[in-house]
Amino acid sequence: MTGDVCLSVEHIWKVFGTRPDRAIEMVGRGATREEVHQATGCTIGVRDVSFDVGRGETFVVMGLSGSGKSTLIRCVSRLNEVTSGRVVLDGEDLTAMSDDQLRQVRRHKMSMVFQHFGLFPHRRVIDNAAYGLEIQGVDKDERYERANKVLEVVGLRGWEQSYPQQLSGGMQQRVGLARALTVDPEILFFDEPFSALDPLIRRDMQDELIRLQETLQRTIVFITHDFAEAIKLGDRIAIMKDGAFDQVGTATQLITDPATDYVQEFTKEIPKAKVLTTAAVLKPGRGGPNGRIVRLDDTLEGLLPALLEDESEIGVEDSDGKTVGVVDRQAVAKALEPDR
Amino acid sequence: MTDVLQPTEVALAKEETRRSRFGWWWLALLAGVVLLQYLVSSTAVPPLWDTAISGPIDQFATWARENRQIHPIFTGFFIPFSAAVDWGLTTIEAFLKWLPWFVLPLVVFLVIFRTGNWKMATVATLSMVYPGLVGLWDTTMETLSLMAIAVLIALAIGIPLGVLAARRPSVERLIRPVLDAMQTIPAPVYFIPVVLFFGIRRVPATIATVIYSLPPAVRLTTLGIQGVPQQSVEASDMFGSTPRQTLFKVQLPMAMPTIMTGINQTIMMALGIVVLATLLGAGGLGQEVLEALNQRRTGRGLAAGLAIVAVAMVLDRVGRSLAFADRTRPASRRYVFTSLLLVIGAIIVGRAMGWVTFPEVWEVSVFDPVDTAVRWGRDNLSFITRPVNDFIVAGLLIPVRDFLTLTVAWPVLLFVTGFICWRLKGVGLAIFSIFALLLVGLIGMWALSLETLTQVLAAVVISVAIAIPVGIWAGRNRRVDAALTPILDALQTIPSFVFIIPVILLFTVGQVPGIIAAVLYAIVPGIRITALGIRQVPEESIEASQTFGATPRQTMFGVRIPLAAPTIIAAVNQVIMMVLAMVIIAGLVGGGALGFETVRAVTRGETGLGFEVGISIVVMAIILDRLTYAWAMRLQPPTPSH
Repeated sequence: MTGDVCLSVEHIWKVFGTRPDRAIEMVGRGATREEVHQATGCTIGVRDVSFDVGRGETFVVMGLSGSGKSTLIRCVSRLNEVTSGRVVLDGEDLTAMSDDQLRQVRRHKMSMVFQHFGLFPHRRVIDNAAYGLEIQGVDKDERYERANKVLEVVGLRGWEQSYPQQLSGGMQQRVGLARALTVDPEILFFDEPFSALDPLIRRDMQDELIRLQETLQRTIVFITHDFAEAIKLGDRIAIMKDGAFDQVGTATQLITDPATDYVQEFTKEIPKAKVLTTAAVLKPGRGGPNGRIVRLDDTLEGLLPALLEDESEIGVEDSDGKTVGVVDRQAVAKALEPDR
Repeated sequence: MTDVLQPTEVALAKEETRRSRFGWWWLALLAGVVLLQYLVSSTAVPPLWDTAISGPIDQFATWARENRQIHPIFTGFFIPFSAAVDWGLTTIEAFLKWLPWFVLPLVVFLVIFRTGNWKMATVATLSMVYPGLVGLWDTTMETLSLMAIAVLIALAIGIPLGVLAARRPSVERLIRPVLDAMQTIPAPVYFIPVVLFFGIRRVPATIATVIYSLPPAVRLTTLGIQGVPQQSVEASDMFGSTPRQTLFKVQLPMAMPTIMTGINQTIMMALGIVVLATLLGAGGLGQEVLEALNQRRTGRGLAAGLAIVAVAMVLDRVGRSLAFADRTRPASRRYVFTSLLLVIGAIIVGRAMGWVTFPEVWEVSVFDPVDTAVRWGRDNLSFITRPVNDFIVAGLLIPVRDFLTLTVAWPVLLFVTGFICWRLKGVGLAIFSIFALLLVGLIGMWALSLETLTQVLAAVVISVAIAIPVGIWAGRNRRVDAALTPILDALQTIPSFVFIIPVILLFTVGQVPGIIAAVLYAIVPGIRITALGIRQVPEESIEASQTFGATPRQTMFGVRIPLAAPTIIAAVNQVIMMVLAMVIIAGLVGGGALGFETVRAVTRGETGLGFEVGISIVVMAIILDRLTYAWAMRLQPPTPSH
């Protein structure tokens, strides 16, 4: 991780049950989750997870149900207490904070968007959005003004006076998003925010989030069980299994270089041509014979017209217009091979 | 729920052996019965402790009466407390009587009309006027003020307690058994200790009402707060809310519909008991009914009874319109403002013009025609009432009572009860039942208890015979259900005591009116819960049965009824508890047995007797309740533990 670290998670464990020490020790000696459960009655939720998230980065944790991803985000946001380890936000140790200190951090630095929205049905949309400010004690005019701005940004203008249950699922989650954004947090936690939505609405919401993130540049920790969603949203992605990370990397790293069979299983379903960029198939070279040039961040799909017309190597340049290497048909064909 | 079978293999294996040995247990039971019957010929437990309990209690009561003005516990707590309650009562009553009479109906109309239901608003408003039309306006105001104070106290205690219980499991564990007990014990029972500490008249009536109506306020508040989705609470936490902010901004508002239902139930229960509290000299509508019945002035009794029903209806509708108001359409400020103006205007005009008391010219005398009609009914419907009466008395009551009190030796009864308790629930309940029943016998309440039990059994048999088939029918047939709903709704709103009035008018005084009233009172939940059980059977199970070519009958007896059985037994449990409460109340009007003794104890201040009767009733209530509950639990299919 380069640059400014916003959130740093250091060796956190979450063990449910009465004898966590024993359970951690057993895992240390190589026992599986099942063996630990048999012996101690404890369930390992999160097993020694560490990661850093840079400021403005979108870090996605992808895992199937039971992988511990929800437990992880609940530990990081301290909705659950960790069994051991530290969570450091902007240099402050969240795990060591008193309830009062935590409350202050929650009021000003973090927000969360929930899977089933967690909206307040007894409050109008505007009052839902303004909730965080209300808790901070911001006066009514100011909080309505700020909430109105955010509601407009998420496309809910005109719905301020409605109640959440009068809105569709996708719009309800827009309220959830607005509520999280109104307090202007440093870091946003998303706990499977779109998995309760229809596929088409889900895609809209993903696009919306990408659009928002372009201007907001917030630090985001995003939990999902959908690999495609992880690829689409994440700057970096962690694949989680049995309470631990199997691999952490960019979409391209996961697809071109899966660390485990488990990770590879997910990449199989992914339309690689749409995800991989020229960077993944870059060969050293100083440009092609025909002088044709493609961009480093073009997807492989985007290369196809050039490849059809040009059998030889094609030059590749980065966003500054500097030539960084070449691609050819073989390299692309190899990258798209189904068995990879 | 700890009694639900744990689906571990051990438990299943135990269950197997238990089933296979069942034949032997029956044989053991039979042998025990024969042996005990042979050994002991006495049919009643010797009342060895006749004065062991009542003696000291009477002494204490005497002491309490003599020291009421001196002892610090009275001068320091009970007397000032009573004075405060009494002051509240007097103030509210004075206020209600100071208000021009039409203000109350106006308020009722405005509150219900807010929900846009003008039909219901009109009906409720007319119902509110009714007591005035039959000359019972002031009496009704007395009842209302007693209720208002009792409900206010109950809510002031109940809602915070409910919140506390929802937030602290330890508090919930502590108060749950107390609430259970409060709901199991028939109301007249705790009149007795209340009288001892607060004396006779309106204050003890208020206290008794508070005790009786407290449980729903606590329970539904707890339920409502626990029912708030975890995510909403966490969302609130994540914004850095303090626990207090989360409570007031999220949990309480989101629990409000449930809490309002609790308040509605509290009000309805308070009304039910306020009528009974007549026994404590509370005055009001209940006294009107009781006096009328005692003097055989049926018209007056009926008019007062209907006034109670009218008040119940009004309170229920007002409560519901507040509880179920559509949250997405809050009353506009203008409506609230206009309503307030109207009410204030009505008060000013009423006071200025002197239109305060209900205009006498409007009062209609319905008493005489009703008296005539009832007399006609009694004389001419005897071809129905007499056979019913005879069947219940000669066919059910006398044989059962004679069997229990004249034939069966007392150890046999203890043995059989203990055996059933043991088989259905466990050793704990068996030991409790045996010793508790023995205690009832030793303090000299054996015969009276068996007589009450006889009445309860008779009423339960009749109720179950009606409620279960009707419930099953309603559960299967939407049209039947739709036709029954308004009737059941109406019956459920009527306070228990009122059921006795029409019945007693048609039947002669005695045990039968009490039993019929108990049946009418108890079949409502019986039918409701049975229908619910039948309706809750998953459609998939029914269709699975049908795809195997099962006839409707086979589906009914092979799938529907077994799957609904736990709920049906829960219905029986409810029936039994309601019958018991009603049989005790029926003691007021000649039902005899424990009920009558309760009345005697309360009205004559025989505290010792009151405690003995109370113990007997509570013992009976607890055993019957736990037994049927355990039975329902046993019928529950094993559920996975996680």
